Amino acid sequence: MEIRTTPDTLASSGMPRGLLSILASLKFTLVILFALAGGVLAAFRGDADPLWALALPLGLFAVNLGTAVVLHPAFRRQPPLLLFHLALIALVLLLAVGRLTYLKGHLELTEGEAFSGELAGWQAGPWHPWRLDRVKFINEGFRIDYAPGVKRGPTSNVIAWQDADGIWRRGVIGDDQPLLLGGYRFYTSFNKGFAPTFAWRRIGRMGDPVIGSVHLPSYPMHEYSQARAWRLPEGGPALWTQLKFGEVILDPDQASTFRLPEKHSVSIRVGEGASEILREMRPGEVLRLPEGELSYLGLRAWMGYTVFHDPTLPWMLAAVLFAVACLAWHLYSKYFARPWNREA
Amino acid sequence: MEQELALLWTALASYVLAGTLAIVGIVLGRRPERWVLTLLCLGLALQSLSLGLRWVRLEHGPFVTMFEILASNVWSLTLIYTLAYWRQPAVRPAAAVVMPILFLMMGWMITTSPEAGHLPPTYHTIWLWFHVAFGKVFLGSVLVAVGLAGVILLRNLPRAATRFANLPASARLEDLAWRFMALGLIFETLMLTVGALWAQDAWGRYWDWDPLETWAFLTWLALAFGLHARMAWNLSERISAMLVLGVFVLAFLTFFGVPFVSTAPHQGAI
Repeated sequence: MEIRTTPDTLASSGMPRGLLSILASLKFTLVILFALAGGVLAAFRGDADPLWALALPLGLFAVNLGTAVVLHPAFRRQPPLLLFHLALIALVLLLAVGRLTYLKGHLELTEGEAFSGELAGWQAGPWHPWRLDRVKFINEGFRIDYAPGVKRGPTSNVIAWQDADGIWRRGVIGDDQPLLLGGYRFYTSFNKGFAPTFAWRRIGRMGDPVIGSVHLPSYPMHEYSQARAWRLPEGGPALWTQLKFGEVILDPDQASTFRLPEKHSVSIRVGEGASEILREMRPGEVLRLPEGELSYLGLRAWMGYTVFHDPTLPWMLAAVLFAVACLAWHLYSKYFARPWNREA
Repeated sequence: MEQELALLWTALASYVLAGTLAIVGIVLGRRPERWVLTLLCLGLALQSLSLGLRWVRLEHGPFVTMFEILASNVWSLTLIYTLAYWRQPAVRPAAAVVMPILFLMMGWMITTSPEAGHLPPTYHTIWLWFHVAFGKVFLGSVLVAVGLAGVILLRNLPRAATRFANLPASARLEDLAWRFMALGLIFETLMLTVGALWAQDAWGRYWDWDPLETWAFLTWLALAFGLHARMAWNLSERISAMLVLGVFVLAFLTFFGVPFVSTAPHQGAI
C-alpha cells in the first residue's frame, strides 16, 4: 500500500485541508529532504551556520512526520511504517538533546600526571553538566610501535583511574578502547611527544619549587620543529625551549618503538636582544635568572587525549536499530512479500 | 604475489569475456546466459582465491590500498550481480549495462599499484567488517537497479528497443529496480550506523560531517527522496530510471571520488 497525499486521498479519508494537510503531505517531505540536503551542503561548505542549516529542516521533518502519523490512516494500517517514522522522530529529538548536552574536547597529560579536570580546548552544548572535576585518572605511560616507513601501530596507554566507589584501578586504553569514566569517554589521540620537565623557584619564594612540563609539538608529525615558547609561572619571564638529540627515534627503514632519546639536551633562550640569555641544559642542571632559579629535571613523554560526552548515544543507537528493523519489515511487506512481475 | 596476480588476471579475463558475451548477445539477439553465468562464477572463484592468498600473506583484508579497495569492490559487485543474474532472469540482459561499469573499475584497478599498505590502528575492530560488508551490499543493490534502469532507458532508443523486447514491461522492471533501491536504503542505513559506531571509537566522535560522511548522508537523502518521489508523484518509467542513475552516480562518486579530494582521516572507499 502506498501513501498518497493528493487532495482526493485527503478528501476521501475525511482529513482537514489547509495547513495541517500540507504539513502532513508527502510532497512536503520531499521539500524537507531537499532542504536538508541543501542545509548539509551549505554547512559543509561553510556558507551557513551548521546548527540552523540542519536544525531547521530536521525540526520541520519532525513536524511533517508527526502530523503525517496523526493524519494519515495508512500509517496506522501499517505498524512497521508507523514505528519506523516514530523512531525517526525519536532520533531527531535525541539529536537535539545530544547537541544541547554534548562535550567534545582535548587535553594532554605528561607521563605520571593526573587529569586536573581542565581541557586544552572544547566545544559543548549549553546544557552540558560539566562534571569533569569528578573524573580522576593518571597517565602512567604508553607504548606505540611503528612499522617500517614510520607507520603508526596501535597505542597502548596504561591508565590508573578512580572508579565510582573511590577505588583506584589500572588498565590499558588506546585508539578505539576508551576510558569510560563519569559518563565521559577518554580516547588516546594520535598526538604525543616529548615533554622537558622543569622546576622553578622564584627568588624570595619559600617552600617547594613549582614543577611543570613543556609539551613540545607532536612527534613525529613535527619532528623538525621540537621547540616551543612558554612562560614561567608566578609572573616569571617568557622562554623559548628547543629539544636537541642526534639519534634516530623512529627509523623509517625498520620497525621501531616510540621512546625518549637516550642522550639529549634542551636549549633555553630567555629575553631578546642585548639581554638575551641562551643556554644548553642537561638533566640536573640549573639556570639562574634574575627572577629565580630554573632546574631542568629531565625529559618525559606526553600523550594527547580527546574527551567526548553525549548521554543520548545508547538511546540513539537503539532508535536507529529499531528504525532499521521497522524499515526492513515495512519494505519486506511492501516489496518483497509479493512477486515483482505482477500488478499489486 | 605473482600467483595472486596471475589468478586475478585470469579472473578479470573471465569477467571481460562474460561481459563481452552478454553485450554481443544483446546486439545479435542471442541469449548466451548459461555461458555468461558460468564465466562470472569462474571469475569469482579465481578472484576469491586471489584475494584469499593476499589476505593470508598480508594478514589483513583488502581494506587499505586503492588496489585492494577496487579489487574487493569488483569482487563484491560482481558477486551481488551474479546472484541477481542467477536468481532473477529478468536482470540478465541488464548485464550489457552493468558489466561496462565493472570494466571501468577493473581498468582503474589495473592502473594502481598492488604493493601492500599499512593497516591503520583504527582498523583493528569488528566494526570495520560490518561497515565494509553493509557498504558493499548497498552499492551492489544499487548496481543491479542501475542495470534495470539502463534497460528502461535503452528501450527509449529506436534501435535498441527491439533488443530488450523479451523482457517484462518497463513498469515492472522499474518496480524491480526500486525494490533493489529499497534494499540499498536498508544497507546504506546500516552502513552509516555501523560507521558511526566505528567513528565514535576510532576518532572519539560518531559524526563530524567530514567529506565522506557528508556525501554518504547526501546519498542516503537522495535514495530516500527517490523512494518518496515515486509515491508522491506518478513518475514515468524514464524519470524513475534517471532517478536510479542519479543515486548511483552520487553513491559512486562518494565511494570512489571523495577519498581523492578529501584530506580527512576518513578515507573510506570501502
